[in-house]
Amino acid sequence: MADRITLRRILKLLAISAKMDLVWLLRDTKYTLAGICADMISNIATVSGVFLIAARFGGIGGMSTDEVLFMMAYSTLVTGIFIMFDGNNIHVSRMIGRGQLEHMFIQPLSLKVQFFTSGFMPFSGGINVVIGTILMIIAVGQLGLNITPWWVLSLIAYLLTTMTIIVARAYLVSSAAFYAPVTCEEISTTVIDGNWFLSTFPLSGMPRFVQIPLLTVLPEGLMAWFPTLALLGRPPLNLTALYPMFFALLISLLASIIFRRGLNHYVKKGSNRYVPYGFRR
Amino acid sequence: MSKKVQTDMYHTDSAVSIRGVTKTFTQWQRSNTAGNVLRNLLKPEKRTITALNDVSFDIKRGEFLAYAGPNGAGKSTTMKLLSGMLLPNDGEIAVLSMSPQKQRRALMSRLGILFGNRTELWWDHPVIQSFEWKKIVWDIPDDLYRKNLAMVTELLDIGDLLKTFARELSLGQRMRADLAMMLLHSPELILLDEPTLGLDVMAKRQMIGFLKQLNAQEGTTIVVTSHDMDDLEEMARRILLISNGKVAFDGSFAALRDELGCTKRAIVNFSDRTRREIAYDDTNKLLRELSELDGIVDVGFTQTSLEEGLANLFARWR
Repeated sequence: MADRITLRRILKLLAISAKMDLVWLLRDTKYTLAGICADMISNIATVSGVFLIAARFGGIGGMSTDEVLFMMAYSTLVTGIFIMFDGNNIHVSRMIGRGQLEHMFIQPLSLKVQFFTSGFMPFSGGINVVIGTILMIIAVGQLGLNITPWWVLSLIAYLLTTMTIIVARAYLVSSAAFYAPVTCEEISTTVIDGNWFLSTFPLSGMPRFVQIPLLTVLPEGLMAWFPTLALLGRPPLNLTALYPMFFALLISLLASIIFRRGLNHYVKKGSNRYVPYGFRR
Repeated sequence: MSKKVQTDMYHTDSAVSIRGVTKTFTQWQRSNTAGNVLRNLLKPEKRTITALNDVSFDIKRGEFLAYAGPNGAGKSTTMKLLSGMLLPNDGEIAVLSMSPQKQRRALMSRLGILFGNRTELWWDHPVIQSFEWKKIVWDIPDDLYRKNLAMVTELLDIGDLLKTFARELSLGQRMRADLAMMLLHSPELILLDEPTLGLDVMAKRQMIGFLKQLNAQEGTTIVVTSHDMDDLEEMARRILLISNGKVAFDGSFAALRDELGCTKRAIVNFSDRTRREIAYDDTNKLLRELSELDGIVDVGFTQTSLEEGLANLFARWR
């Protein structure tokens, strides 16, 4: 029955996740409105702080106010797309640490397909995409950018690259939960939250010894700052505009190897704990 | 994206075939003394636990097997090995002629698993939504889904629960809904780890009755673990006892009673207010013996329970 994975099947799996997300969001008018409002306020608050500083001082570190707005729009779009596609599964360290990965083993699907499809939340996560798109349209208008199909494709490529880096990094650090489930149960939350805090800050004007680590070891600079400057036609530090793609490839490979190793450890040693809460909302 | 899936890797007539399976775990050891804590920082002390030690057995298709043993005997480990959640250190496992480790995906579309302390239902959705999710994930054909949904709704009496959110179900209701969901894809083999855990008498009777019916009418192979020997005896025809990672007994419940020395006794009350207990195997011989006694007021019959016999046995094994 379930062993053939086709594109049609992937779409059906995404559709059932989308349907469940919609009925979850609409379960109650009060919850629905509160959820949408909370998401909007939280996102606008995150980006408006940096934007207001830029507006007050006429830009930050060589970036104009409108360029900062563009960067905020990019960051909001990334957050939105990321929550839409991986909202349920990004905190994989929780699932591993709580012994809940076993629920995935009993499904007739590969773990990759499950991770990709079961986290699809287009409705509860979609509000950030809407806000991000509105901000992006405003910023593009203010900057007077010449929008060509190539530019739109570049934007999509950067958004996908940024998402890949976020997911790969989350899975990379979450692999620690295979070895220390209790201690590392919330490691993905720490990493991802840390990600959001720094990712909206323009690094232009910062010294190189700050910029370089934030583009390599802690790649917060690749979340919005680098892609923004690349899309505006001036990638920083004389790096190639394709640098984020190379970085995404490298970190994905590394995450894949480390996660597989952790998974092998898990099926050999087993999980010494099982926590029933927080499994499937 | 399609991929040809290899099936029947280990062709066998058995539903489950385990050959020389060993599974060990390591446990961290530490006392609460400062010296030991510091020593453990440099050289952690670990103990190897052998959950299964060179275990071999077969389960025929259509069988209803009780898998029992004291706490920590290796029952849940076996369930996890059979469902591909764990890899054995050594030995071979074939479930429905497939390797749970190498053919997990194909196996899962023919296998049903239920852990009594877990739920597969979506917490914040009505039960029917979880069922629909299962239909898509397991790719269950429409007609089979409709047929099975009607069957489980009727037999498990869950009609009233379908629109209820999983988080609002009682334990017994949740177990029935979980069991129903597990059966939607018509599994050929079902593994139940403590399915009656925490259920009240009514819920337990309902579940036992349903499982017996499923085994008898559909020929579904069932492997069930429980600490309640009465439940197991009522459901299964064969019992496999595991202790310290080894198969300690494999046979019928009657043979287990003999093995445990679960004797039948007649308790005879006499008119002079004395009482005598007579152990017997042969009822005819007992009746003859009783007919020769004078002054009998009342005769009662009793038997050492399986639970009692096993408790003694488990205590000896420790």
